[in-house]
Amino acid sequence: MSSKFKDDVSPLPAVPGTNTMIELVNVHKSFGHLDVLQGINLTVTKGEVVVVIGPSGSGKSTMLRCINGLEPIQKGKVIIEGEDLHGPRTDPNKIRQRIGMVFQSFNLFPHKNALQNVMMAPMKVQRKSRAEAERIARDLLDQVGLADKAQALPEELSGGQQQRVAIARALAMKPDMMLFDEVTSALDPELVAEVLGVMQSLAESGMTMVVVTHEMGFAREVGSRLIFMDGGVVVEEGDPREMIASPKEPRTQKFLSMVL
Amino acid sequence: MNAFFNGEIFKDSLWLLVQQLPIVIEVLVLGLICAWTWGLILSLIRLSRFRPLRYLAGAYIDVFRGLPLLLLFIFIYYGLPHAGIKLNELTSGVLGLTLCYGAYSAEIFRAGIQAIPKGQTEAARSLGMTGGQAMRYVILPQAVKLVVPPLTNEFIAMIKDTALMSVISVPELLFTAKEKMGVVANSTPLTVAALIYLAFTIPLIRIAAMMENRRRKSKPGGKPPSGITPEAEKKLFDSDIAGQVPKGGEGW
Repeated sequence: MSSKFKDDVSPLPAVPGTNTMIELVNVHKSFGHLDVLQGINLTVTKGEVVVVIGPSGSGKSTMLRCINGLEPIQKGKVIIEGEDLHGPRTDPNKIRQRIGMVFQSFNLFPHKNALQNVMMAPMKVQRKSRAEAERIARDLLDQVGLADKAQALPEELSGGQQQRVAIARALAMKPDMMLFDEVTSALDPELVAEVLGVMQSLAESGMTMVVVTHEMGFAREVGSRLIFMDGGVVVEEGDPREMIASPKEPRTQKFLSMVL
Repeated sequence: MNAFFNGEIFKDSLWLLVQQLPIVIEVLVLGLICAWTWGLILSLIRLSRFRPLRYLAGAYIDVFRGLPLLLLFIFIYYGLPHAGIKLNELTSGVLGLTLCYGAYSAEIFRAGIQAIPKGQTEAARSLGMTGGQAMRYVILPQAVKLVVPPLTNEFIAMIKDTALMSVISVPELLFTAKEKMGVVANSTPLTVAALIYLAFTIPLIRIAAMMENRRRKSKPGGKPPSGITPEAEKKLFDSDIAGQVPKGGEGW
């Protein structure tokens, strides 16, 4: 499948001489007395598709939300393209513009139609003209197969369509990397494929992606690295096919035997 | 019967009172704009992440919801001059309405803002919007739609409360009717005033009820489109949304 997203990936890494997009160093996160992340170390390089799996409550969604600073952390470092997200001179809003995120519950803006949802951030954040934003938005809706739904309100769209609009909305900022937080978990089974299809062609275009999912098929086919999390730590990581076929850690074995 | 409904006096009073309508409407429109603006500002302060400001706004809201509006009017018009601050009748009226109804509106706006699911803010922030941009382009447009029915009810209350301004000599309906009553030694002017109030309030009451009905019908047992939880909605439409302290760390 040839990629439809080729034009949207910036040709150079933002920091010359390095390909590291995301670096988590000993990240700790707790909600009150509940330690959700207990020292996460993770490096994602350009073009990688890192798939994160694990039982619910293992901290995988929280880790994703720490990458773009939606959750504050208690300890450790989050470094995005060489910039410390929590650094004293860092503007997290600027960094978030380079990190697209797609949510389990879509979170489209219900008072705006599909086109306006995609146009909003380029216009309000990047100060692009209406015409320019609309050109970008129509182009992206076309790429996710929803050119004919531009005027539809979110409530008029199926879950799969809403999620594809949400992907287009995130891509409209021309991010350097994308985070996917269980984006197919709220979908009816027959709608999962259309969303995974869009994600696959995005991966093939070279987009750097971190994908929290329960779709083992996607992990095997599209993932370039598989990470198994449990109890707030990374238990095992490796090549998706090898790891799914022969997991080393007992906890990974137990989890995979339950989901496969 | 003649004491309350005298044909000749009725016509006279109606003409007299209708002439005062521009003043009533002026006070109402100014009061409404100022009260809602002030209320919106207060609600945003109350939800901000600056703790001292948050408490200050909370204290203001509690105090002004707890004071009788009549006392406020008298304080502003008859009390403040002792401190050298002399405001005319209309300004005093508008100021009183703003101080009091600003506090009520603040609670309505806050409930509306808090009824918008957290995922909306997160989606906006993940696109690189600042907290202010997320509030302005994503949260407020949705919240304002939600608070139209409670704000309509507030408007109705405000129309009735303009009558309190008779004590500070604003020539509104009640003030004018009372004066006329003294002249003609008959209660008909009061009847006329009552009818004029009703001509304004009853249509609004019907409109508020219609909006309420449409809101109920729009989701027959299903989930509301934007994922507003039933609890949040109940909170919003409860007649008394008082006394709820903002959750800590809800800053934006």
